[in-house]
Amino acid sequence: MMTALLVEALQALLTLALAPGLIGLVRFLKARLQGRRGAPLWQPYRDLRRMLRQEVVLSTDASWLFRAAPFVVFGSVLVVSLLVPLIAAPLPFDEVGDLVVVVYLLLLGTFVLSLAGLDPGSAFGGMGSSREMTIAALAEPTIALAIFGLGVRAGSTNLGRIVARTLASPAETLGPGHLLAFAALFIVMLAETGRLPVDNPATHLELTMIHEAMLLEYSGRYLALLEWASAMKFLIFQALLANLFVPWGVAVSLSPRALLVALGALVLKLAALGAGVALLETRLAKLRLFRVPELLSVSFLLALLAITASFVMR
Amino acid sequence: MSPALFSQLCALGSSLVLITGIAILWRHSLAVYIDYFARQSFVFVLVILGVAAYAGEAELYLVAAMVFLFKVMLIPRILRRVRRHVGVDIEVRPYVNVPASVALAGLLTLIAYAVTRPVVEISGLPTRAGIPLALAVVFVGLLIVVSRRSALAQIVGFLVLENGIALLAILATYGVPLIVELGAFLDVLLGFLVMQVFVYRIRETFDTIDVDRLSGLRH
Repeated sequence: MMTALLVEALQALLTLALAPGLIGLVRFLKARLQGRRGAPLWQPYRDLRRMLRQEVVLSTDASWLFRAAPFVVFGSVLVVSLLVPLIAAPLPFDEVGDLVVVVYLLLLGTFVLSLAGLDPGSAFGGMGSSREMTIAALAEPTIALAIFGLGVRAGSTNLGRIVARTLASPAETLGPGHLLAFAALFIVMLAETGRLPVDNPATHLELTMIHEAMLLEYSGRYLALLEWASAMKFLIFQALLANLFVPWGVAVSLSPRALLVALGALVLKLAALGAGVALLETRLAKLRLFRVPELLSVSFLLALLAITASFVMR
Repeated sequence: MSPALFSQLCALGSSLVLITGIAILWRHSLAVYIDYFARQSFVFVLVILGVAAYAGEAELYLVAAMVFLFKVMLIPRILRRVRRHVGVDIEVRPYVNVPASVALAGLLTLIAYAVTRPVVEISGLPTRAGIPLALAVVFVGLLIVVSRRSALAQIVGFLVLENGIALLAILATYGVPLIVELGAFLDVLLGFLVMQVFVYRIRETFDTIDVDRLSGLRH
């Protein structure tokens, strides 16, 4: 029991520690692919340190909600990191919450951040919030449906159990539904974490911003928390993609050696997925906002097909 | 190859054929429509080759070669030439907008699963998992035909529909006799050539290939 709790703590620490690095990696690879030199991998860590030291400037119109939001967002993502099988499965906290809890905790962060974007009454914040809500409303069902597609074959909505079950009998659980669900979840990941075809993470043009627009009014340690939380959200989505669909490497026992292998596998898988995202972002242009629902309806369809395929092929 | 693995691969191939069909529904550019049709035919060729290798049917190799020659090479090439000639590239204002047509495609797939259930249950072939998907390709082809305005897009829809029928034949019975297959093939090819001529004529007479304009008298 003690080791299991230690593993949980380790998962949270890993998420905290690796998230800025993953963002740094994607930025670095993207810069290289675009023929720029690019900032070093640890640049996001430096940014966070600097922002944590900086003074906070608050709008006079901001209420308590604006100050509470960063903590809620950060906290919800941190709790999710305990429920997602990053290095070991099944986890003791699996009993606390399954897929539904994970999806709604992530949505809680989105919801609170949207409120915070509206709170100071700046025009861009409100615009960002309304766009974010539109996208979240379309993306959230797809996440649930895609993972349910896997859950049907594994016989559980528990993320840890799905991974353990897939590892135990890959021939029974893997199938075409798997591939469809992966594609659906990948598209939703791009939308939810504000990556390129939906939102440009590097944009400086307020009119096209979605995620960044909600953060415009934030500064100092609040901004640091929010940036960190969005990096962690990105890492969690990547880890879900990596471990739900390619679970090999995840530790099923809690021996130190298995955990070490799992850690190595996780870093490799995250780096590979990050490279994939960087490549995709160099190739794609941002979609017009009005075409985003089309993209998300496609991902919803893929998830729907995945779940039908899983039901029929059972 | 074990039957279970082959069955999974068949389902995977059929899913890819279906997805390339649906991909047409969410794009606007006619050039992309043609590309996706060529890709769909290519995946279809792979499925035929897989079935041929597993079932040991020599005739299917011939069918695969023909599909590759016509549907992957020849027809897309002619379609591209027509598109360049006609000079339109965007499917503007389809009758059914993109999110709705994608949702409809999902619904049609569910219907395909429902109606093929009895067939799948009595079929003993390892390819049976792909049967509902093949029928869904037929439905999606029909949906493209009825929901798009441009005559060229409708031709692509018709060809997707034909791919679906051929896929259904391969998956449900390991292919119909070669002579029937040849007959169907010739039919499609002739039909396609006639339609292609029609597109030119429509364009010459009306200055557009938007079929909506054909319903009114010309002033």
